[in-house]
Formats: sequence, C-alpha cells, structure tokens
Amino acid sequence: MTRGILLFCFDTEHTKYHKVLERCVHLIKQNLKLQITVVTNYETFKKIRPLGFINYKFIEPERGNTKLGKEWNNVDRHMAYELSPYDTTLVMDIDYFCYSDNLLQFMDTQYDFLVSDRVHDLTDRNTFHQRVWSMIPMVWATVFVFKKSKRARQIFDMIKYVKDYYLYFVDLYRIVARNFRNDYAFAIALQQYNGFMSYDKFPFALATLPADCEIVKMTDAGIAWKLNDQINWIEKQDVHILNKEIPDV
Amino acid sequence: MDIGSLKKQSDLSYNVALAKQNAIEKVNSRQMLVYNEHIFCADPQTICFVRTLKETNEKFFMLDTNNNPVEITDTGDFLSKLIERNQESLNSYHQMYKTFEKKGD
Repeated sequence: MTRGILLFCFDTEHTKYHKVLERCVHLIKQNLKLQITVVTNYETFKKIRPLGFINYKFIEPERGNTKLGKEWNNVDRHMAYELSPYDTTLVMDIDYFCYSDNLLQFMDTQYDFLVSDRVHDLTDRNTFHQRVWSMIPMVWATVFVFKKSKRARQIFDMIKYVKDYYLYFVDLYRIVARNFRNDYAFAIALQQYNGFMSYDKFPFALATLPADCEIVKMTDAGIAWKLNDQINWIEKQDVHILNKEIPDV
Repeated sequence: MDIGSLKKQSDLSYNVALAKQNAIEKVNSRQMLVYNEHIFCADPQTICFVRTLKETNEKFFMLDTNNNPVEITDTGDFLSKLIERNQESLNSYHQMYKTFEKKGD
C-alpha cells in the first residue's frame, strides 16, 4: 500500500505560489516524511528550486476562476483521484503548513474519504462563520485524505458533476460567492452522495490564520503574525495561512 | 496605575488569552488518536470509559469519533496509547503555559 501527498501549485500573475510550495514541501519533509507529488504546469515548474525527490505531474490548469478580482487556479482539485499515484493520498493546499506529524496517522484509517468541516480562527474573531454565507454546512477542502476505492471514486465523480453544474448548485444552496470554491463543491458533493445525511469527517478544526494577518516570522518550529499592532505566535501546530505574502517573510 | 500601563496590561492579557485558546485547540487536535483504523479522542471521558470497561471485559465495543463501532481486543494497549497521547498533548500545553506565566513579569 503506497501513501503520499498530492499538492497543486500554479503561479499566477500576482502570486508566486511556487515560493509557498517550497516552504510547504520543506515542512512536509521535516514532519510527515511522506512521498510528495506536485501537480503543476511547466511555467511554474521552471521557477521551483530543487526540492529533493519529488514527483511532478504536469497539467494545464483550468482558467477563468477569480478571487477578489485576481486569477485563482483552484479548479483542478476534482482530478486528485486520477492524478494521485498513491493508494492512500493526503491532499493539501500548499498554504497549509505542517508543523507537526498530526496528519500522518489519518493515512491509516479505514475511511475512504475524510475531510474537515471545522476551522479554528487563530485570531479569535470567528472570521469563518460560514453559516451566513450559504445554506449548506461547508467543508474545508484545504486538507483531505482519500483511498483508491470504489466509494472514493464515486465521491470524486460527484464532485465533477457538481463542478460542471456549479452555478446551479450555487443558486440552490444560496451560496453568496459566485466564483468556484472547492470547499462548497466538496460539501455539496458529499451531502448529495450521502443522501443528504451526515458523513465521516476529521474530528478536529483546521487552525487558520485570516488573510489580514501579516506573517512576520516563519521558522521550522512555528510562525508569528501581526494584527492590529499585536504580535502572536504558534509553535508545532499545523496552520492554514490565507495571506499569500508568505514568500516575502 | 496610569491609563497607558493599564492599556498595556490589557493588551498583554488579550495576547495571553488568545495564545491559551490556540494552545487548547492544539491540544484538541493532538488528542485525536487513530487505533484499529478508527479515530478516537484521547480525552478524559474516553480514558475513563476504556478503563472502566477494561476492569471487567477482556474485549469490548465502543464508538469512534464518527459514531462507527469498533471492537477493542487488546484493551491494555489501547488504554496505554490513549493515556500516552493525552499526556503528550497536555505536556506540550504545560510547557507553553509556563511561558504565559512569565509574560507578566
């Protein structure tokens, strides 16, 4: 049984995602020690510095999606099942930084598909109060684990279906944002696939730092951020950082 | 105490409270334990429940965090792993908590 991590990375005009990837891979190698496959395009690949043994898969990202008016290449996550060379795959956003080996154990469960439906706002402002933005409890496709199995295959087929008719589902579930978000696509697909009943999830909240937090320091042990002239930090705790200015730290 | 010092103390208290809350969330995440391909929380309730069942049963059933039933056959091993994970996460919190105490000095 092979196990590994699948990452998606595409530079845009505004953001050097390859720099974020380099930090992400460094921490994975330090704390998870799993094989890594990076899905990218050649333009981005050319800029990535040598990172040791990494598998690369080249695709051209589906374009057209935006976030706050800027290009946002996030639409290809539904292809994770086909792109992963592993029997058990951990898919992560490259701005999710593993400062612990916490996720490692979730590669060894009986579950075909696990995703988190909770986040913890590290600034204690409840920034991600999702209920007001849609009629569906959202999941966070930031981190999920799947096995190559019939059930997981069907879930991904459902995700593709939701993606194809995304605007219909956006209206159906009264989702405020009109751009494509994996979080909603996954939530809708899981709800539909599971007969509108509950489904298996990670039992923890993803620690998340909102985009308005300035990252002032990043080390191999943790990060410090600044918000309203206050500096706070965390150590040895996995974190999802939404501020994409990380390369400048 | 002048208002400037009070404001400083207030900021410090806020920072400590925030760090404490984040540390507790870290404990909650770390207390998740995968055993027999199922997920459990190594919290006091689970530990007490397992210990109670272990006293009179060589093996028993319990629910994982997704409410799926699991048969536990090696009860001693399970209990020891739960306690180990619980104490590991709290030890880490304790280390951090000591830094909070020093902050006001």
